Amino acid sequence: MRRWKISGIQKKYLSNTVALLVLALLLSSVGVWIYVRNNMANVVVDKYEFMTEKMGISLDSLYKKSEEITAKCIIDENVQKSLQTREMATVEKNALSKYFAYIDLDHVLEYCYVDNKENVYTKSYSDLSYEDFKESGLDELLSDHYAKTEWLFRKDSLFGSGEKALFIGRNVHSMEYLHPPGMLFFKMDEKFLQSIVEEKKEIENIAVGIIDDRGEFCMQHMPENFSISSQDRKKISKLSENSDAGMISVRERLQGGILQAYRQKESGFIIFTLVPNEVLSQGFTQIFYVLLGIYLVVILIAVGISLYVSKIFTRPIQTISEEMERFDGKDFSHTVHIQTNTELDKIGNSYNEMLGNIQILLEEIKKQEKELRTSELHMLINQIKPHFLYNTLDTIYMLARINGEETTMKMIQALSSYLRLSLSKGSDIVTIADELENVRSYMEIQQIRNQNLFSYEIDCQVEERERWILKLILQPLVENAVKYGFADLYTGGIIKIEVKEISGKLTLFVYNNGTPMDQSMADKINALAEVPVVELKHIFPDKKQGYGVVNIVTRLRLKYGDSVRFVYEVRQEGTTCMIQLPGNGKENDEL
Amino acid sequence: MNYKKIFFGMTCIVALSGVLGCSKQTNNQNIVKKHVTEIPMILTVDPTTGKKNEEDMILAFNEKYEGIYHMDVQWVLQTEEEYRTNLKRLNVTDELPAIITDLRLLPSFYQLLVKEQRIEDLSPYINSDPEWKQMIEPTVLEACTEPDGRIYLSPLSTAVFSCSGVFWNEQLFAQAGIEHFPDTWEEFWDCCDVLQRNGITPLALHTEGTAWAPMLLATAELADDQEGAEFMEKLYPDSYQNHCGLHLASTLKELFLYTTEDAMYADFDVSYRNFVSGKAAMVPNGYWMLDQIPEDMQQKVRFAPFPGNKLISSPETFGWAIVSSYSEEVKKGAVEFLKFRTAFNQKQKKDFLEGTMEENSPMLNDYIDAYTGNPQIVPNYQVKWNSGLQEETLGECIPKLVKDQMTEEDFVRRADESAKRFQEER
Repeated sequence: MRRWKISGIQKKYLSNTVALLVLALLLSSVGVWIYVRNNMANVVVDKYEFMTEKMGISLDSLYKKSEEITAKCIIDENVQKSLQTREMATVEKNALSKYFAYIDLDHVLEYCYVDNKENVYTKSYSDLSYEDFKESGLDELLSDHYAKTEWLFRKDSLFGSGEKALFIGRNVHSMEYLHPPGMLFFKMDEKFLQSIVEEKKEIENIAVGIIDDRGEFCMQHMPENFSISSQDRKKISKLSENSDAGMISVRERLQGGILQAYRQKESGFIIFTLVPNEVLSQGFTQIFYVLLGIYLVVILIAVGISLYVSKIFTRPIQTISEEMERFDGKDFSHTVHIQTNTELDKIGNSYNEMLGNIQILLEEIKKQEKELRTSELHMLINQIKPHFLYNTLDTIYMLARINGEETTMKMIQALSSYLRLSLSKGSDIVTIADELENVRSYMEIQQIRNQNLFSYEIDCQVEERERWILKLILQPLVENAVKYGFADLYTGGIIKIEVKEISGKLTLFVYNNGTPMDQSMADKINALAEVPVVELKHIFPDKKQGYGVVNIVTRLRLKYGDSVRFVYEVRQEGTTCMIQLPGNGKENDEL
Repeated sequence: MNYKKIFFGMTCIVALSGVLGCSKQTNNQNIVKKHVTEIPMILTVDPTTGKKNEEDMILAFNEKYEGIYHMDVQWVLQTEEEYRTNLKRLNVTDELPAIITDLRLLPSFYQLLVKEQRIEDLSPYINSDPEWKQMIEPTVLEACTEPDGRIYLSPLSTAVFSCSGVFWNEQLFAQAGIEHFPDTWEEFWDCCDVLQRNGITPLALHTEGTAWAPMLLATAELADDQEGAEFMEKLYPDSYQNHCGLHLASTLKELFLYTTEDAMYADFDVSYRNFVSGKAAMVPNGYWMLDQIPEDMQQKVRFAPFPGNKLISSPETFGWAIVSSYSEEVKKGAVEFLKFRTAFNQKQKKDFLEGTMEENSPMLNDYIDAYTGNPQIVPNYQVKWNSGLQEETLGECIPKLVKDQMTEEDFVRRADESAKRFQEER
């Protein structure tokens, strides 16, 4: 089973992504929560606000219905007749008593009509007298109102039940004449008001009730396990102090929930709904779980995508990192192979290239170390030899002098000078004067060897003791001029060495008028400046040709860096080699 | 470092987005709605012409007081009798509109409303407003003022539009060889005979709705002598069993000799149709019928005072009252409306009297001549007599009287019973 390991860049990337995501979700959840909480409450309350208004309108309709029916009673011919001065006949009175039993109003428990001559009209079984009516005190409740339909929620002291009930009462005036009014009352059963909330499934979860114009509770419909606290009841009762009509309370926060109320204008009765807190939070809980689920899915998807995307970038980096960690400086075979079509591919390629270069450099260093050790060995051997060599040369010189052999003397002197400069000086940097003396000794030896082949000129325009150069630079050039330039000459050859300063740089020219160098060779040599140092030796693999030049260029670039110039200029009359060194020719400090 | 800055920046953006996202977008447009006081009122649509009565004035008021007051008129298609009965119903059910019309045509109902303080005393408004008071002709103001000085009926400016006379068909008269409307009652009866001989029904009458048309003619004829004129000035006469009552019954009986066959148990709309269709040569009615004469009859119809140069008029019948049970705000608007009505009527009078004779129709010029010809003004019986007599007895007894099912004596006895009953109930 593959072990899932997250580390390094991926771990950081993932942890930051998750942190940002969690923060974003947290903030958005706070926003969503606030928004949803408000809106859910609004939606829930809107629904019940609409319902409250609807039930309020039903209350209006109920009142209008009671008003219409009582109006019909008032303008009834017999009712009007009962108000006239003349007493009605008994038959007429009986008929009028029965008339009220057939009115088109549901839920009438009892009725009582009292004309202006103290006659009482009730149901046939009732023996209610005018005195009973007066004692009930209902007449006083109507006295201020001309003919308004009054809804009175009072204790029933008229029909004797003693319980509180709704009475619909109205003064009955004569249409024609100025007479005292009669009074009409209907006692309604509790279903009258309950008919407003009947068969309304939507209100099962909320409290609905009706209070009268004095704040007394006339009807209540409560959900299971819910009751209105006494504090809330007081606040609801206080609504009766409001004299406006329609929705008098909207979204009023009470202890038990949100209150909404509608006041019926004419009766002053108020129907209210109280949406319990549980109903309000029901919606929130559902939304909370849905939200939580969505967030979890989002987080999982985001983590998955993050892992996948981060893997694209971190895997190559991880590969490079692992390869670099594993690299022991010996095994250069562990190159990386990255194909992401991104900048990472370049990094991989560069790593591989760097690995190759390091390998070449290491091999070069090894080779140079080997050469150095050989050289040091030779030097140790040679340190013994020079004394013997110089003594021998001095002896030969003395013998030649004794014998008067000038040429021999001269040649020995030149050789001695050349050897001294080439061998005895330990430093690889020499003054221009020493370098010129060295090349001069070499040229004199060559002149002796090749009589009349060439002549030479040295023109040093700089302070030769204050300018410096890597030793044995000029000698191989002169050697090449004699060897290749004058190959086809027997006499008349010229070698000119010129040292001067151009633009603050020490510049040396070696000119020979021999056979001009092949242009392709010159171009190839001039192109060495663009070749990395480590690859210079591969340019002229054949040691018979170009080896000396490559040696010079390699040494110059190793000593002075890439700013050194080494250029061959081929003309018809001869070949010039120009060497330009930075500064005063001393070792480049920057290297 | 940069990464941390980017992280911090993104966090800020997310937080800001969240906060902005959560911020409630509200466009609090504080729309201040101007409160307009609605003044409810009921007016009738003329059943014969379909024209909304007083519409011009209502529109003018609503235009002038736009945004402050608005007359919320319920236009009802009812006869005058139906309308008045409905007023009584609306009163006992406490549903009267803020302004009520025709109240003075229901004398006992008017008294009932006054006694029960159902209508407003307008005298404080009129007396404290010289501009308003000055607009009202003294005779009109006097007619609308109660003996105790209270004014329950807001008067019109003038009585010029409240007079009733006789509309007559000049063409039918010419067919019978009659050139002008009779000046005396003798000539009137002769005129009726001549018309009838020429096959023309002289009178368009009816018996329902307080028998308005025949009663106008009969009461005008009654007032032709001193005794009759004094009888017509009486409010709620105690008895009709006297010379005047018998004379009135006799006249009514005679009038129905000259009318159409469909006059029995019909209301005024039948009389109107008979007249404008040319079936009858004369119909008595008030100024307001000038506008109701069809276009093609305009040049044929003329107007004349009742014989003996009499016009029947009670300006208080045009007084409108304000119902007390309304809020002060509505009542204030109603008072403003009634003042506007007086001013509107004053302008109508000015336009009416200053109009050129050439442009007026012949009957309009006749009306102006009649009003300015120093006529004898006879009070409207509707203002003076009890409601029971008008609304029940006349409608029941006139047909019997005409059909000889009842004598003149029986007729006045029934009238007295009604008066007695009225007194009992008072």
